[in-house]
Amino acid sequence: MFAHIFINRLKCLLRDRETIFWTMMFPLLLAVFFNMALLNVNNDEMFKAIDIAVVDDSSYQSDRHFKAALDEASKGDGRLFNLTVTSKDNADELLNENKIAGYIVVEEPIKLVVNKSGINQAIVKSFIDSYMQTASSVNSILFEKPNAQQELVSSLNERQQYVKEVSATNAEPNNVLNYFYTLIAMACMYGCFFGMREASDIQADISPLAARVNISPVHKLKAFIYSFCASLILHLFEIFILLMFLRFVLGVDFGPKTGYVILTSVLGSITGVSFGAFVSAIVKKSENIKIAILLGVSMTGSFLAGMMYQNMKYIVAQNVPVLSYLNPVNLLTDAFYSLYYYDTFSRYALNIGFLCIFIVVFSFGTYLIIRRRKYASL
Amino acid sequence: MIIKVKNLVKRYGDLIALDHLSLSVNEGEVFGLLGPNGSGKTTAINCILSLLKYDKGEIEIFGQPMTPDAYNIKRDIGIVMQNVAVYNELTVYENIDYFCGLYVQDKKLRKKLVDEAIDFVELSEFTKFYPKKLSGGLLRRLNIACGIAHKPKLIILDEPTVAVDPQSRNRILEGILELNRQGATIIYTSHYMEEVEQICSRIMILDKGKAIATGTKDELKAMISMGEKITVETYSLSEEQLSRLRRLPNIASAEYKNQTLEIKSNKGQHNLETILEFIKKEGIRFGKIYSEMPTLNDVFLEITGKGLRD
Amino acid sequence: MQVFKLCLKVLKKNKATMLIYIVVFLVVSLIMSSAMTKDEQADNLFIQKKSNIAFISQENSPLIDGLKNELEKVANFVELPDEKEALQDALYFRSVSYILRIPKGFTESFMKGENVQLEKTTVPDSLSNTYIDLCIDNYLNNARLYVQHVGDISQESLVLHLKSDLSVNTSVELKTKSDKAQNHIYANYFFNYMAYSLLSVLILGMTALMLVFYDNNLRRRNACSPVSARSMNLQFILASLLFTVFTWMIMVIFCLLYNLDNSFNLNTVYFLINSLVFAVCGASISFLIGNLVKSANAISAISNVVTLGLCFISGVFVPVEFLGDSVLRIASFTPTYWFVNANNRIAELTEFNFSNIEPILSCMLIQLGFALAFFVVALVISKRRRFE
Repeated sequence: MFAHIFINRLKCLLRDRETIFWTMMFPLLLAVFFNMALLNVNNDEMFKAIDIAVVDDSSYQSDRHFKAALDEASKGDGRLFNLTVTSKDNADELLNENKIAGYIVVEEPIKLVVNKSGINQAIVKSFIDSYMQTASSVNSILFEKPNAQQELVSSLNERQQYVKEVSATNAEPNNVLNYFYTLIAMACMYGCFFGMREASDIQADISPLAARVNISPVHKLKAFIYSFCASLILHLFEIFILLMFLRFVLGVDFGPKTGYVILTSVLGSITGVSFGAFVSAIVKKSENIKIAILLGVSMTGSFLAGMMYQNMKYIVAQNVPVLSYLNPVNLLTDAFYSLYYYDTFSRYALNIGFLCIFIVVFSFGTYLIIRRRKYASL
Repeated sequence: MIIKVKNLVKRYGDLIALDHLSLSVNEGEVFGLLGPNGSGKTTAINCILSLLKYDKGEIEIFGQPMTPDAYNIKRDIGIVMQNVAVYNELTVYENIDYFCGLYVQDKKLRKKLVDEAIDFVELSEFTKFYPKKLSGGLLRRLNIACGIAHKPKLIILDEPTVAVDPQSRNRILEGILELNRQGATIIYTSHYMEEVEQICSRIMILDKGKAIATGTKDELKAMISMGEKITVETYSLSEEQLSRLRRLPNIASAEYKNQTLEIKSNKGQHNLETILEFIKKEGIRFGKIYSEMPTLNDVFLEITGKGLRD
Repeated sequence: MQVFKLCLKVLKKNKATMLIYIVVFLVVSLIMSSAMTKDEQADNLFIQKKSNIAFISQENSPLIDGLKNELEKVANFVELPDEKEALQDALYFRSVSYILRIPKGFTESFMKGENVQLEKTTVPDSLSNTYIDLCIDNYLNNARLYVQHVGDISQESLVLHLKSDLSVNTSVELKTKSDKAQNHIYANYFFNYMAYSLLSVLILGMTALMLVFYDNNLRRRNACSPVSARSMNLQFILASLLFTVFTWMIMVIFCLLYNLDNSFNLNTVYFLINSLVFAVCGASISFLIGNLVKSANAISAISNVVTLGLCFISGVFVPVEFLGDSVLRIASFTPTYWFVNANNRIAELTEFNFSNIEPILSCMLIQLGFALAFFVVALVISKRRRFE
């Protein structure tokens, strides 16, 4: 009986080509888009030189050191600035038209004129700060040791980096990964549409097909579970395709614990499909409303897990931590990330534990509602 | 007795759908359940099948109480429902195979049964078609095949010929009779009285959840006082002749409209002869003349005061 | 106008569904815009955002104290135990974005002029971490100068010198056009985000309407009626546009309410116009999708790809500055890119002269061009489908 129901259900599902195609393609397409957008986030070489100007007046011309420092920073391939030396009026105009991030006026202390406070402006300010602070140090040193000038110049050119990155775990903390993990989590939750159909097709007051099954000598719950398995396997297959695509085509790193990654995907798939069955069983309204609820919950969950705006995840974790455990999308995302980032399993186990609670709640809830065999009205 | 229903009551809130309905169906019968829309036919069927919760009553099938768990009973029941319930993603063959497979697990036996079912409903040319491509009549035939493939002892058909062309309808009715000949007991609900008259051995008429008449066709017709209806085409009939006609024995009513004389007579013999004699005596010239026996519609009309087709 | 009324009835019947979509996407928009705005420097003062760091030192010295004091300009210190798991957790949950460790013997080696290093563990891609790096490097590099060239300098003296050196600050003059400097950051984010929220609602809503209206049987029956196909289509389009404008209005009203102080200016007008143009474009996209795909599951899937995917490559979620040139080139074949482009420009607008407005207008025209293109393609497909 299992094979009979399972195989027929699988046939039905696979023949709905449109649905299969799009539910399989959408996470893959999204992954490609994500990849395109996120390529450069971890890439430091993306830096583009900043357009600035400096007012060409007597103070600028007489401050040779500063002039030299500016010129140095504005030439060559990896340069910091694109420098325009011009009059004050022209500089103002350039600023108004947003053609430069700001312009410098050499005074005591050096002044920076900007029209907004953004990243580029901050970088320019840092540069000037750095220069002036070093100049101050140089002056105090020269005050005490006037002969040190020559050596100072060479020392200045040997700027050191005093901090080296040490990672706390075996893996590098990686922001880009979170996006992909939320994508997998969302794809798992999208299994809810399969679950929705399963629940509808077994309730005789919703589907005439279900009435036929109810009248047959097959135990209703068994019929439901066998059919559910078919949907689950199909959805799982789609998730695996996604995982392989992410790993082998896009090079997303899941860490070394492959077995657990697969386990997490399986649990995620079950969560999604059972979630759909649960909502479908509970909400007794039209199919459109069910779909709206499923979509709404999935999207909100994905948002709160940081899919669109990464910091959202941390805002939630810090302000409403309960919510981060109540959000299955977040639990799944964190489970994947814990496998990648941590050496121990404690955080992973926590996430998986909560996920299993969700699975139990959804399954049990669905069971309670569909086990009814006699209806009040058909 | 295959089915025994005692005092079945089903309410939807304040509305009583089934009002202490009792019926019994004997083995080998073609039992017809007749009644207008909303009389409770489908409700009764669903209760009997344990699909619907009912408030009071006892239902026994094959001598055992009927419950949702009674799988041994369900194995021998086949149902053809009002709504076509087939999977759009499976072909004709696959649909029949699937539903038969819920009853029959042996693959070889199932194949044989499915092939026989397809031949029975004459869908052999359409086995690879998908339901969306079938016309209404073919779809109904598929619906039937799905319900009877496992050769059940009891077959319940709920309005199986709605929206079906005359050829298919005839085939279906013949097929049902054939199934009956092969040993199945049939319950057939409809509001097409000609069909019920054609195939049912015993009939129950329902109205508002109550059984208002039960028996064979002839028994039912005998319940009413109405006799034949005689229609005469005549070009001239005077008022006086009409009133004299009305005074004849056994005449219930006589109307003359549009050059047609309609006479309804009471039960009795020789009604037609009496009228013919009258016409001859009066010298009334007539064109066509024909007589009809009362139909179930007439039975229903008389018993309830309204027609079967509303 | 029967068809028009019918469409409205269908929409009304589905109002629960529409409401769920509108509310969900609206709330997400509002939260997201607030969060993103807070993140950016929303004040007009030139304040650098302080990160949370853990300062773990395995020794004490005046030099290290001096460093710590200097770091207070750019960081908040969070007390954390020096345990691996606690530190991992802190980074994971972002309670700190930077952990600085000073190894034992650092001060001594440094004062000898040796090249020692401190260890950091950070959350990558955090801009404020750059300030910390810079601060540390500045401090130590300047200290190095003293150590190298003023031999035998004591730590205390060194620290004092550095303190005064590093207190030199560039003076910044912030020029703004209007007296009441208004910032359009919130509006910028919200309207950008509309590329996701409004488009999603439009696709999901309109396709629901189309599935009913374009159902084959109904279509055939309608085709036999004495109402011309053209009139029917026009009425349908009218109903769809009504729905579009209505949804647009709801989203926009909430944005304005939330951001009332910053809303009474010409920039807002441009935001509104731009978003209306995009809404029309969105309606056109929905029309195309509704004609291409019939299954509800497939529609949800496609809507996701179209909205999320395009938003990602057009700079809604990942800022445009971070997107590669080739990505942007691909994105420029989608209307979302031009919509976001226009929004970003509008947010920066201070002078409303023609040379500033012109690029914005061309963005809008391009969007309308897309709208028309999608619409035409959809019509062609629909005509072909009609005779199936």
